[in-house]
Amino acid sequence: MGGQFAAAGGVDMAWTDPIQYAIPAFIVLILLEMVWAAKYAPTAYDPGDSLTSLLLGLGRNVVGVLEAGLLLLGGMWLYQHRVFDLSAIGGDWGWQAWALCLLGEDLAYYVWHRSAHRVRWFWASHVNHHSSQHYNLTTALRQPWTGLIALDFIFRIPLVLLGFHPAMVLACGSISLIYQFWIHTEAVRRLPRVIEWLVNTPSNHRVHHATNPVYLDRNFGGILMVWDHLFGSYQPEIAGEKAHFGIIKQLGNFNLIWAAFHEWVEMAGDVWRAPWRSKLGYLWRVPGWSHDGGRETSDEIRGRWLGNSM
Amino acid sequence: MSIAQLSGWQVQGLQLAGSLLAIVFIAWLVRQMGLGGDVRLRSEDVARKLADEAIYGFGAVDVALDRAGIGALLRDEGGRVMLLRRQGVHFVARLLDSHAGVRLDRNFLEITTSDARFGMITLDLGAKAGVWAGSLRRLGA
Repeated sequence: MGGQFAAAGGVDMAWTDPIQYAIPAFIVLILLEMVWAAKYAPTAYDPGDSLTSLLLGLGRNVVGVLEAGLLLLGGMWLYQHRVFDLSAIGGDWGWQAWALCLLGEDLAYYVWHRSAHRVRWFWASHVNHHSSQHYNLTTALRQPWTGLIALDFIFRIPLVLLGFHPAMVLACGSISLIYQFWIHTEAVRRLPRVIEWLVNTPSNHRVHHATNPVYLDRNFGGILMVWDHLFGSYQPEIAGEKAHFGIIKQLGNFNLIWAAFHEWVEMAGDVWRAPWRSKLGYLWRVPGWSHDGGRETSDEIRGRWLGNSM
Repeated sequence: MSIAQLSGWQVQGLQLAGSLLAIVFIAWLVRQMGLGGDVRLRSEDVARKLADEAIYGFGAVDVALDRAGIGALLRDEGGRVMLLRRQGVHFVARLLDSHAGVRLDRNFLEITTSDARFGMITLDLGAKAGVWAGSLRRLGA
């Protein structure tokens, strides 16, 4: 892979997006999960929900193609100003660089993902991935269209400044997304404890997608769960506490356009109606925050649950 | 013309059309395989549980189930009124903040919430419809 980059003296765009090569496998796995659902859990799928999720995925692909050039252009400019030279660890395209970039990308993913749940501006885009009340492989493809507007890319800037080629950073991001596809399922229960501790699994990620108070805003890791252990956000799935999926205020329809943009529209409405001194709060504070305390954040819901549990 | 002669954008267009066809096929297959299904509210206890899942701590003290099980109205001790409505194989909830969107027609309550995209629902509450319509007026306009 490195040779192709180097030989081209630049960037082979196809390699920045390995997701396109994974799509046939995605389709086969979705069909297999549907067969499982037909036998064991018919309500794990819903035609309207699956259609919305898959169309959000297709839209994301189209947006991704349009964005990739722009992101690479900006990334290459930053790369000219990188702080480190990776020649000391085997060169820009050596396996050491790939391994470190993948690790760094996973940490960047954790920071972005946690921010995406804690800052409404970032949440306005990421919420698309959470707005299904189902948790199946089509949910994995339910991806936002507005990541560029939400400025998601700023979380990868440190990697480029550290000396990782922007194309490598994009490719590692895609590898992370491909890994995370298979974990969006109820068909796989818990895996051996050491695996559950180390990496993201269906069980760990069910917790992340759940709206049960005990599960709210937990398990932000992409591939490794190590970051959640390190930063105190890990929550294992609890036997007897079945996960309920979706968002605090469920969408209530399968409208594709509303699913893609609803939080932006609602955020704009909140900013418009808020008194001047509170307007910015609706952009950068945690989702659920309101200037008059009329709504609840996930911390407040969790706090009430903790109070009742003690 | 072979695929090799197509421009990059033409290939992208073909991929897009192919993906769209695959998506429509999968959604059709989900329906053909009988996935999803006809989910109904079978009891007041189920409605209470769903209300608590929708808003943690919503302890319903009064419940009116639609006769077909497609929705329910619930009231908690604090006087908050929740509308539960079927959405696919799940249920979604909204708190009612006004009686402006409530219409009584014999045993039927037609309810529109302040969330325009939540849609309108007609609940068959039987004899309870009139009682609930009256009590919903306390929510104000």
